[in-house]
This record gives sequence, C-alpha cells and structure tokens, in this order.
Amino acid sequence: MTPVLEMRDVTVTLPRGGRDVAVLEHFNLTIAAGEMLALVGESGSGKSVAALSILRLLPAGARITGEILLGGEVVTEARLRQLRGGVAGMVFQDPLAALNPTRTVGSQIGEAWRVHKGGSRAAAWAKAVALLAEVGIPEAAARAKNFPHQFSGGMRQRVMIAMALACEPKLLIADEPTTGLDPVIARQILGLIARLRREMNLAVLFVTHDLSVVAEQADAVHVLYAGRSVEWGRAADFFAQPRHPYGEALRGAVAWLGQGRLANIPGQLPEPEARPPGCRFAPRCAYVQAACEKAYPPPVEAGTIVACLYPLRDVPRAAAVVVESVAKTFAPLLEVRNLSVRYGKAVVVADVSLRIGQGECLGVVGESGSGKSTLGRAILQMLPYAGEVVLQGQALTARHRARRQIQVVFQDPRESLNPGLRIGEVIAEPLRLAGVARGAALAQAEALLGDVGLSAALMDLYPGGVSGGQAQRVAIARALAGGPALLVLDEPTSALDVSTQALLLNLLRELARKRGLSCLLISHDLAVVSFLADRIAVLREGRIIEAGATAALLAGPREDYTRQLIEAAPRLQL
Amino acid sequence: MSERRASLIAGLGLGGFVLAFSFAGRFLYRADPYTIHPAHALQAPDWAFPLGTDELGRDGLALLLAGGQATLEVALPAAVLAFVTGLAYGLLAGLGPGWLDKILMRLLDVFLALPSLVLLIFFAALARNGLSNTMLVLLLGFITWPGLARLVRNEVFAQRRRDFILAAQQAGAGPFYLARVHLLRVIAPVLVVNGTFLVGDTIFALSALSFLGLGVQPPQVSWGSLLQSALDIIALAPWWLLLPPGLLVFASLLAASLLGRGVGRGVLRR
Amino acid sequence: MRRQRAVRLLRRLLGSAVSILLLVTLVFFLAHLTPGGPAFSILGQKATPGSVAALNARLGLSAPLLVQYGIWWGHLLQGNLGYSYLLNRPVGALLWNYEINTLVFYTIAICLSTGLAILLGLAQGVWHGRWPARVIGAFQLVFYATPPFFTAAILVLCFGVWLHWLPASGIGNPRLAHPGVGTYAAHLVLPVVTVMLLTVPMLSRYFGEAVHEELAKDYVRTARAKGVGFAGILFTHVLRNALRPLVTMLGLSFPYIFTGGVLVESVFNYPGLGWLLWRSALGRDYPVLIAIVLLIGLLTVLGNLLADVVNGLLDPRADYE
Repeated sequence: MTPVLEMRDVTVTLPRGGRDVAVLEHFNLTIAAGEMLALVGESGSGKSVAALSILRLLPAGARITGEILLGGEVVTEARLRQLRGGVAGMVFQDPLAALNPTRTVGSQIGEAWRVHKGGSRAAAWAKAVALLAEVGIPEAAARAKNFPHQFSGGMRQRVMIAMALACEPKLLIADEPTTGLDPVIARQILGLIARLRREMNLAVLFVTHDLSVVAEQADAVHVLYAGRSVEWGRAADFFAQPRHPYGEALRGAVAWLGQGRLANIPGQLPEPEARPPGCRFAPRCAYVQAACEKAYPPPVEAGTIVACLYPLRDVPRAAAVVVESVAKTFAPLLEVRNLSVRYGKAVVVADVSLRIGQGECLGVVGESGSGKSTLGRAILQMLPYAGEVVLQGQALTARHRARRQIQVVFQDPRESLNPGLRIGEVIAEPLRLAGVARGAALAQAEALLGDVGLSAALMDLYPGGVSGGQAQRVAIARALAGGPALLVLDEPTSALDVSTQALLLNLLRELARKRGLSCLLISHDLAVVSFLADRIAVLREGRIIEAGATAALLAGPREDYTRQLIEAAPRLQL
Repeated sequence: MSERRASLIAGLGLGGFVLAFSFAGRFLYRADPYTIHPAHALQAPDWAFPLGTDELGRDGLALLLAGGQATLEVALPAAVLAFVTGLAYGLLAGLGPGWLDKILMRLLDVFLALPSLVLLIFFAALARNGLSNTMLVLLLGFITWPGLARLVRNEVFAQRRRDFILAAQQAGAGPFYLARVHLLRVIAPVLVVNGTFLVGDTIFALSALSFLGLGVQPPQVSWGSLLQSALDIIALAPWWLLLPPGLLVFASLLAASLLGRGVGRGVLRR
Repeated sequence: MRRQRAVRLLRRLLGSAVSILLLVTLVFFLAHLTPGGPAFSILGQKATPGSVAALNARLGLSAPLLVQYGIWWGHLLQGNLGYSYLLNRPVGALLWNYEINTLVFYTIAICLSTGLAILLGLAQGVWHGRWPARVIGAFQLVFYATPPFFTAAILVLCFGVWLHWLPASGIGNPRLAHPGVGTYAAHLVLPVVTVMLLTVPMLSRYFGEAVHEELAKDYVRTARAKGVGFAGILFTHVLRNALRPLVTMLGLSFPYIFTGGVLVESVFNYPGLGWLLWRSALGRDYPVLIAIVLLIGLLTVLGNLLADVVNGLLDPRADYE
C-alpha cells in the first residue's frame, strides 16, 4: 500500500540576512493511512518548516529540494491547488489569527469545500453546518453565522479542523494545534483528532514542541534537532527508552506529573549559520566523544532509529519518585483576606482568602480566565481590589513602601525587560531605587547574575542580545535584587522551550531551597506547579474550589474539576 | 547599502544643503536682495543674475537666500517650541491622574477639530498689520504641537501597562523616574521621527501662510511669498522665479521625510 | 450590539459637539477682543475714533461682549450666521454658494484619489520589495514632500501658460450662474489633479502597507492551505481587511485634504470654502471667518463619524472593542 505522505531527502533553505540558510536538511518521513506521527522538536528545530514544506506554504524566498509525495503523487506547482485541502488539510497554532476575522466561520468552511467541489453557496453552507456539527460544535446551524472572535479558543480550533477536513483529505497536518490552549481543552482537541482519525482512516502529522501532548496517542515519533533528524521510530519504543542523548534529555526535561527531578540540557540551540560540522547536538551532549564532532552520524537501528554513534542502552531507571508527603509547617508570612476584583460588572476574583508561610511555595492553578493572574496582580498591589492583603502583619496598599517586599516574574521575558537598558542596569534597578549607590548596586547585580547561573559577561548586553531563557533568568535576578519577602511567579515558564523550561524550574527550586524563598506560583500547568509547590490551590471562575498539600491533592482530589486537571496533565506511563 | 542608510544619508545631505544655502549662502553671494535694478526687470538667468530678476528688477538669487534665512529662522525655533510643548503636555497627560488626562485631552480635541492651516489663517487674520516674526514662531509652535502631544500621550498609555514598567513600579519607581529612565527611552524612536516631521510641518505651514500673504511680512521675503509673487505674474511665465523657492521648500520637506525614515528605523532596530 | 454601537457613536458625537462649541466660543472671543476689533479692519487706513464708534454702533459691536455672544447664538439658532462686511451679503447664503463648489470639487477629487490609491496600494502590497513597489514608493516620497501650492504652480505654468491646454485660473465670478458643464469641468481638471497628487501618495502608501501586512497574516496562509488561488485570496480575504485602516485614514485625513484645498483654491481662484476663508482672512471679515471655522469643524467631525460607521459595517469585531 502506498504511504499517504513520503518525504525523501528534503532540504529547505530560507533567506536570512541576505544569504540562503538551510533550516531543514536531508529529511525523510513516511506516514501510512490511519497512522499518527508526532514530529517533535524545540523552536528552531525545523519541525514547522518540514510541515509547511509539504504544501509549499513557506514564506517567499524558501527553496525546497528533494521529493515530496502525497498519496503516491509527486507534489508539483501545477497540482498544488488541488492537493491543498484536497489531499492534505492543515491546522495551525493560534486559530484566532489563522481565521479571517471579518468572515463568518460558515463561509470560510464553505469556501474550502467550494474551491474543490464547486457547487452553490447554499450547498457549501449546508456542508459547513454539517462539518461544524461533526467536530462537536453545538447548535452548528446558528454558530456558522458567527465570526471567529465569537468563539472560545478550543471551539476555534474545532472550526479549523472542520475546515481542514472539508474535502475529506487523506492527511491532516497539524502544526502545534494545542499550543496555547488550556490543558483540559487541549485534551479534548486531541480526543477529537483521534476520533476523526479512526472514522476517516486519516493519516496525521502532528507537529509539536511538547512530547507530553502526544505521549498517549502517537503511533510513531520523529525527533528533530537544529534542522536534522536525530531519532525516529515507534512511539512505544521511544517512550520506553530513547536511544539518542537528545531524545533522552527531551523526555527527561518535560515536567511530567509526579516528576522528581528535571533533566537539564545545558547550552543553547546553535543558530542556523553556526551549526557544528558533526553531530549538531555534540556541544550540549553529556556523552560526547571526539568522533561525534567530525561528521554527521549515519542512522543506525537500535530499538528506534538514531543518528548517533553511541546510541544509549537501557538506562536503569530510578523507582518512581514519591513526592514529599511530610507535612511541613511554616511561620505565617502573607495573608490574603476576602480579596475580590471587579472589572466593571464582571467579578474576576471572588472572595479569595489564602495564606503563604515563610519559606513556602503556594501554587495556584487554573485555566485562562480563571482569574489567577488578576489575583497575583492584586496581591502585588498593581490593581484596585476589595479585601485585605497583609504581609508580615502590615496591610498593604499601592502606595505602601512595604509593597516592594513582594516582587514579580512575568510570563514573557521580552516584555518584562526594557529593551533600552543594559542587563546590569536592569538587575541593579531595584537596588538603585532603594538608594544603593551605583557601584555597589552593579556589583550586587553581577553576583545575582551568577546566582541565576549566568555569566558576568551579560552585564553590558541589551535584552535583545540574549535568549528567552536567559532573559527570564535576568528577570528572576531582578526580582531577587531587593531581597523580597515574597516572589510572585506568573506563568514563569510558559513562554519557554521545554529544555529551557526544565533549566528554569530546576533553578527556581534550587533558589527556593537555598534562600528559603517564599513564592506564589501561578500557572495553568499542573505538572509545573506540582514540581515546585508545597501546597496547591485550584482556582476556577475567580474562586478557590480546592486547596491542599501537593501530594495529597494529586492523590485524592475532592472536586471533579481538579480530577479533570490531573487527568489532562502530562504523565509518563512506564 | 540598506534602504534605511540611503534614506539617512540622502536626508542629511539634502537637509545640510538647505541649511548651508540659507544661512551661509549670503556670505558667498553678497548681492543685496532689496536693491532694485529697473533696467533689468524680469530678466531670465544670465551671468549677472544667476537666477534672473523679478518684476521690480531685484536679484532672484539674493532674494532666494534672504527668503531661506527668513523661513528657517521662524520655522526651526517654532519646531523646537512645538516639540518641547508637545512632549511635556503628552507626558503630563499620560502619567498624571486620570481626571487631568481627561481635561487635557478634551482641550487637545478642540485644537485637533480643525485643520491646522485653518486655525493658522484665522489667527494670522487677527493681527491687523500682519504678524512679527516672534509672533509667527509662537503661533506656528502653538499650532503644530497638539499632534505630537496626542502621540506622546498615546504612546505613554500604550507603554505604561507593559511588564517592565510594572516591575519598576513594584520596585518603588515614581512617575518622574519612570518617565526619565523607561518611557523616554522606549518612545525615543517615535519622538525622533516625529520631531523630524515637526520641522517639515512648520516649514510647510510657514510657507503656506506666507504664500497666502499672511506669514512673513513685506518687505521681508520668504520662500512662500516669493512663490506667490511669481504666481501673480504667471502669465509672463517667469519660471526662474517660480521653480527655485518651490524646489527649496520641496527639498526641506523631503529632507525631513527622509531623515525621519532613516533615523526612525535605526533607533527602532535596537 | 447594535445598541452598543449606537451608544458609542452618540457619546463620540456629544464629545465632538463640546469640542466644536469650545472652539467656536474661543474663536468668537478672540475675534472680538483684538485691538480695534472688526470696525478697524473694515474702515482700514481711514479709521478715526469717531467713524469707528459710529460703525460699531451700526453693526451692534458696541454692546458688551457677552451680550454680543448671546445675540450671535440667538441668530445662529435661527439659521442666521451674520452679515459679511466685505462682500455685503448674508453669510449663510454666501457659505451655501461656496460650499456647493467645494463639495463638487472635493467629491470628485476624493473619489478619484481613493480609487487610484487602492490600485497603487494593491500593486505595492503585492509586489512588495520588487521594482513596481519601488517605483510607486519613489512617487509617494516625492509627491508627499511637494507642497500643493508648488504642484499647482507648476501645473499652471506647464498646462496653462506654456501649452494652453487648460484654463489656468478659476471659473472666476462666483455669481456666474451657469458656466456650462464643459467649462466647469475644464476648470476643475488642474485643481483636482493637484489635490490628487497631494492625497494619493499618502493614501496609497498607507493602503499599500496595510495590504502587505494583511498578506503576511496567518489567515492568508490558511486560505492558501485550503487551495484558494491568489486572486481569490486578494479579493475575497485581503481587500476587505485592508480597507478598514484606509477608511479610518480617509476620515482622519479630512483636515489634511482641506489644508491642501485652501492652497489649491487660492492658486486657481476656485470659488470654494478655502478661497473664501483666504479672502476673508485677508479682509479681516470676522463673521465669515467664524462661520467657516464652525462649518469646517462640523465637516471634520462628520468625516470621523462617517469613517466610524463604515468601519463598523466592515468589521464585525468593532462592537467588541
């Protein structure tokens, strides 16, 4: 039987700074009907480029060499419009941007149908309504008349899927379809794709940076690093024991639920212009040998297929980590009493009371719209609220000096650093504002930079010159600079790649232990929260519905909603 | 060479030429602009009069030099005035309490409800015997600042809820510190670009006003009034009187536009 | 949602009304507080204290300022805008005459400009970075920097004086009741071209950037992934979304266009509002000046409002913002 998709020795170059740079090299891939293949890699690995190259949707200037076959037919410019949507449908990340904001979803789905099958507008509309119902949108006939912004994120992604499948293609290419969605919603989307795959015998190419998303459903896994394939094979084999050091590191870096320690991957992804001649991963590899740096290793069979001279053997695995269940007691530090926040008529945070002890880390989990960030900002005194926030016995206000005792790390490290200030100045800022002399403040800043694991050479760089993970560590250093009593971490790892995220979580844990740091950790990701927090509070629609010590909460949730969150969290079955 | 660098260099060259021509030119070409040569009235360019003469027999090149100086002497200070006023007003509205912002913005709306040339014409008409140059500076500055003020205020508003500002506030930063260390730095590209455009605006406004006979008053000449007097006798086709002042206004505006593009993208890049 | 939009429009309308009210008040007091006041301007050099006083009494200018202001409003509400000292006619009728000319002129100029700007902008957006876009970009840069009075002067010199193809100066006497469509049109060519050379660079550049931005958006890639052809993408997806900022810009650029209009009308002696404004300013004809300020303020607000309404129709999200 001919495979649905075959890519043979595909190389893609993109123009960068006036030159053509290869972003994907010698790439081979095969997917059979009904099969789901997960194409995994961090940003810059070339995974999206691989996905977009199939239907030639890359930006202008891209050049593709090699052969791509869809349903046994070579993809050519002349046949492109028939193949797009006809043989392969595509779903993208960020469905709000991927849908035309000024046309109804019905007309956009109908368009996909009419482009290939022709027919009247009325027929296309009827088809669109049927498709919307098929992907699980209630009251499809009425909803078809709505515009994309009138749907929730998950519903929008369903619309995208309906559109991609309008002409019953053989292949669904999904480029990070669940990124940015809440875990519970993401799980529903995955379930929908699984169902459609069964019903339509659909081949699925699932592109993602997050291994945990596909652990349960993929038949095959293909791992990319810096533009080259490093490991591929059956998913069961891969998850049982990755054979490439990068595959192993990637699996270890994901914060699975109940994970005791995250694997650090030191260093950074090389820029496309500065890739090492041998194995791309060699500079960051723990098992590197001299031979690794000479030439790109040929693929060998070792359970999975790996491009590595020294594939890993079975690594004896530590027994499943038991999350510390010893009940700690903490001296009281922060007390929040009956805190409420309203925007106009909407109550965003409703009557929340909580306590954080000295040296304790409290995790707040909730999906987007649950009010968790608003709660954090109210505690920081960044917005007006009703109720009381008492720190070390003092009730805080926006004008109170003690407000400085609470510092913050935001989600997006780029946004949280002024692009026009040097990193040294950024970290020294809280000290300068507290009246420390410039020289002393800069010296302290340098020490702090060391504490967060960065070199002093960064002091004179601007934030634009460092990576996202480094920028986030700078933000942590700044937050620590004033010696705060409490740190509010608002989704501190959500904008980062898996390996960077692991590094940062380990760093935060280490800092918390060494400095006896108290923190309020806000995240949508239960696995991340459970990794750091002593206690977890579950926030839903502005209210805390359940709270308890981490281990106890994970083991025995009382609320249905908490159970759903736990089920949606990534876990590794071994 | 990138488009930006090309813009920047062309803008600098053109702007430098206009400035040098208007302020240094009369030291090289010393003919008096107001001397009348009745025998040579309305003469096309020749060796004696490189840019010909007007209908009174005045030296065209000398008039052009005097007109340039008069134009820039009013337009440049007016642009500086407008820049300072607009920046201060915008920062005050953007960083001050909400009620102040409301009042200041309402006032601004009053000025922005009309095309600035209409306001200019109206104010110029109020002065019975025409405006002195000092008054013109004040008036032009007064008319052109609201645009920049609104821009600065909107920029401040867009920036002041950004995470790094919030973080600085959390560390105890007050409004003056925020403006000095953070806001001015991030809105600098916008300021530089629009500051450059302001120069173009005031040169254009003054030329238009003078063209309409309401700007720089006779006997002093300016580019705008030279154009108007050439147009008065257009039937005689005095192209040597019409083209030079027009081209100089054009060159000034083009220089401002090119500089704004070049500088703006440069600052934005970092 | 309809109601939300209506409420928002109404609120903006009220805000604008307050602005105009303040503006007119300011203008009125400034006009009457200047040394000498209107009487001096009318009498000119011959003014003596006696003749000024006599004229002031005749024109009702000797009453206290607040009373004059009240009377002015009273008249305005009855549709009486005052009396032009200079042209010896009621301001209302005068404005009406000139207003018609201006409306004809502007409607033609703006329609042609918008059409041309859309064509150029589309070309610029589609061929972004290649030579057609560069040529258009150079055209925009040059004409954006050319002051309209200079453009007008060159056009007059070339087509009026040297080539004698087109009439150089206005259709002259505003009381010339029926100049004939042909004559009228011939007189309109050069003014309209001048205004177009002023507005097309700005509008087309703006629209070109919008088209380019829209073409880079994710939904365009989605449409390509569905198999929609380039023409389909351009006309059924991109055009409508790129038109929104253009409409806003059109609404906002009324003051800019009118500024050009004043200069163009003065060069061509075209009897429109701009020309009247200029003439009244030179003659210090305050009742006319105040009335024009009021009228133009209203037109500016109307432009913004119209853009708002059209955008509401173009963009379903407008209700939510």
